[in-house]
Amino acid sequence: MSNHWKIYQPSTSLPWNVNRVRHLHRRAGLGVTLEELDRDLAAGPVISIDRVLQGTSRSQFTRDNFEEMSQVLAEAATRSDDEVRLKAWWIFRLLWTPDPLLERLTLMWHNHFATSNAKVGNLQLLLRQNQLFRQFARDKFQRLLQAVLLDPAMLIWLDSNSNRQGHPNENLARELMELFTLGVGNYSEQDVKQAAQALTGWSVKDSQARFRTEHFDSADKTVLNVTQSFDSATLADHLLNQPATAQRLAWRLCDTFMGEGVVSQPAIRELAEVLAASQLDIGRAVETILKSELFFSEANISSRISSPVEFVVGNLRSLELLDRPPSTMVLARWCSLLGQDLFRPPNVGGWAGGRDWLNARTIVGRANFAAALVAGELHTPIETPDLKQFCNRLTNSKSVPAKSGSLKNLLGRHLLSTPLPVEQEALLSDQPSELIGQLLSLPEACLC
Amino acid sequence: MFDRRKFIRSSAMISLAPVVPSFLAGLAQATESARGDERILVVIQLDGGNDGINTVVPLADEGYKQHRRELRLPDSELIKITSDFALNSNLRSVGQLWEQDRLSIVHGVGYPNPNRSHFESMKFWHVGSNQQEQVEQGNGWIGDSFGTRPVRLGAPHAVNVGDESMPLSLHGRRCIVTSISNPADMRLRASTVDLSERDQSSNATGLNQFVNKVVTQAYTSSRQISELTTQDSSAGYPASRLANRLKLISGMIKSDLGAQVYYTLQPGYDTHAGQLATHGDLLGELSSSLKAFMDDLRQAGLEDQVLVLCFSEFGRRVAENDSLGTDHGTAGPVFLAGTRLAQRSYGVMPSLTDLDDGDLKFHVDFRHIYASLLTDWLGLRLPTWLEGYRLDNLLA
Repeated sequence: MSNHWKIYQPSTSLPWNVNRVRHLHRRAGLGVTLEELDRDLAAGPVISIDRVLQGTSRSQFTRDNFEEMSQVLAEAATRSDDEVRLKAWWIFRLLWTPDPLLERLTLMWHNHFATSNAKVGNLQLLLRQNQLFRQFARDKFQRLLQAVLLDPAMLIWLDSNSNRQGHPNENLARELMELFTLGVGNYSEQDVKQAAQALTGWSVKDSQARFRTEHFDSADKTVLNVTQSFDSATLADHLLNQPATAQRLAWRLCDTFMGEGVVSQPAIRELAEVLAASQLDIGRAVETILKSELFFSEANISSRISSPVEFVVGNLRSLELLDRPPSTMVLARWCSLLGQDLFRPPNVGGWAGGRDWLNARTIVGRANFAAALVAGELHTPIETPDLKQFCNRLTNSKSVPAKSGSLKNLLGRHLLSTPLPVEQEALLSDQPSELIGQLLSLPEACLC
Repeated sequence: MFDRRKFIRSSAMISLAPVVPSFLAGLAQATESARGDERILVVIQLDGGNDGINTVVPLADEGYKQHRRELRLPDSELIKITSDFALNSNLRSVGQLWEQDRLSIVHGVGYPNPNRSHFESMKFWHVGSNQQEQVEQGNGWIGDSFGTRPVRLGAPHAVNVGDESMPLSLHGRRCIVTSISNPADMRLRASTVDLSERDQSSNATGLNQFVNKVVTQAYTSSRQISELTTQDSSAGYPASRLANRLKLISGMIKSDLGAQVYYTLQPGYDTHAGQLATHGDLLGELSSSLKAFMDDLRQAGLEDQVLVLCFSEFGRRVAENDSLGTDHGTAGPVFLAGTRLAQRSYGVMPSLTDLDDGDLKFHVDFRHIYASLLTDWLGLRLPTWLEGYRLDNLLA
């Protein structure tokens, strides 16, 4: 394996310890329970990372009939035509799936191909798009992109209905090049116009994509210096073959899994080469990242702002508040309030993420979420959770070295990705639920 | 109503509250000037690329008929302003502001080598530069101009109103920005930990320093803003999202929050299809909300202190597309509202027959407007990259 992405091997400077197990689950899963922590600490990195990649990283709080329940909830949500219920369905999956990496990748594609119900106005179509993201999440990117270009929600979102021979609408063509494949600066205005012609002919009728030859412009088009009678599929393949596409996907994956300022340009280029050599195999690139020394390096730990979904779902799982299922509707509303309104990204560019997650309103929101969590308001009916019990389990956990200190310290390590400032400890409460509320409203709680 | 006395009282509380970090507490020493002639800029971002041609309509231009067949507004849907141009009839209230010398139009605003990507073009507008290297620095035209200028009692320099993420325009190394959409959202339910002992300027890495700073600021402004209630005014705001945002801004200005810039946006201008109705509704919302806002400030005796800028990242193509919409174009008009403006119109209408590859040629570089707003209006230091720009004769 290459230089920048060489495989992580535990050493005295980069030991496999509880911090790295938590890091793996914070970034590639969503929170980690004490039992999973013990299990992975004992198993070592190879087995633990494989479990994440293969979708078996959760040993606790999953459901045997997960997919069946998910399907029932999805159908009920679309039938009700209540958008919050569809958001709640996704929260259900994020909370209970045995394969959190798959949900994270689905979320990544929802951001990459950001489509909003604000314009589409059809939950059935958004659900179908979401399932498509999940189906091809780890696949070769070609399969995903080709499917997205025939996806009714996408066709409505970017005005394909009005893109016809002789009178192209450039919306889909532009975003296809700027956001989905090449990235800005890698094509000309002329390329956009020509690509729009290649995409003519497709529209949505009765919730299905359909192709009408009479609306298709079959003339030759010149896109990125190649002239042929491009249509939607051949145009996509042409774009997929451009080095800029591999480069953009490499950036997207690093943006999803790696910390701020951790990945150098040469490292992105190298990951792009891995992608280009494997027909843009996303699963392969994800594996490259998650197995790398760079991923487990000190610089990469605690170097991201957590997203609202990570904050909400991750903390619930890490505190094991799942014996009684929390209200997914309530959680979906919290995610919206904190700035990640599922199925309603702010625009075609998706959520900017990173530091943009934090502003006065969302920071106060996170603190208030913590208050709601310890007050039991994430469950209906409201019932104060027994956090003392969790604290006892934490103090007695196998992974915790015997002399590692106070409950404040232990909880701080479990919930925060970076050590508590020493002077902070004295200011914290000794009472478990108050302590948890305080920890989750510290600046460090925004990092992962 | 959050009145001035109450504001001072709560400000005093803020300055004593343990949560206020040293860097903000230090600001308490800045003189608390009496409400004076402090000038305020309100920015409304018309998001998505406003079709300038159907906003300020070039009546006399042959090209209008030629390029706009389906989307051409008939005379009955125009408010004639001069022999050259008319306003979209949905801009009735804007027309009234114009009649009353409370509004100016800058025609044909843009920049060289226009970029038709929403994100790229908006970045240029946010930074105040079309140079990629400058954009990558990550500082905005407003954010960068707040050097070390003291603000009052821990007030933010700027407030971003709405639930969108903070615009790049407000990014600056020293710029303190608060984002709010509803004062109630700013109420902290539980007491948070005392962060005052944290060293804001420590050698902590960039990201740690960032979270320390923004979290501390958020908790501080939470105490301030959650007490703010919007006053019911008789100014007659319509029931719309933009109107609510402007009403909230007016509330903050009236309660003398101390911010110099308020920023908000009105989304939806990306009218690739079925444009006429959507665009008309948007302009109607903008027009009635803006008029209500200016009237509200006038009643409070504050209109002379406030100037409003309305801009969009680009105009749209001159020729309509076949989906009764328009695709991304270039130059467009900018609105300025306020009582201190020297002229009612700046620049000349761009021609619809002398085009650049189907797009309007710009006449006024938007950076001229920015530079004059920063120096002539707000009295701030120009970001280095805006030096040399100036819109002549902005203020009376």
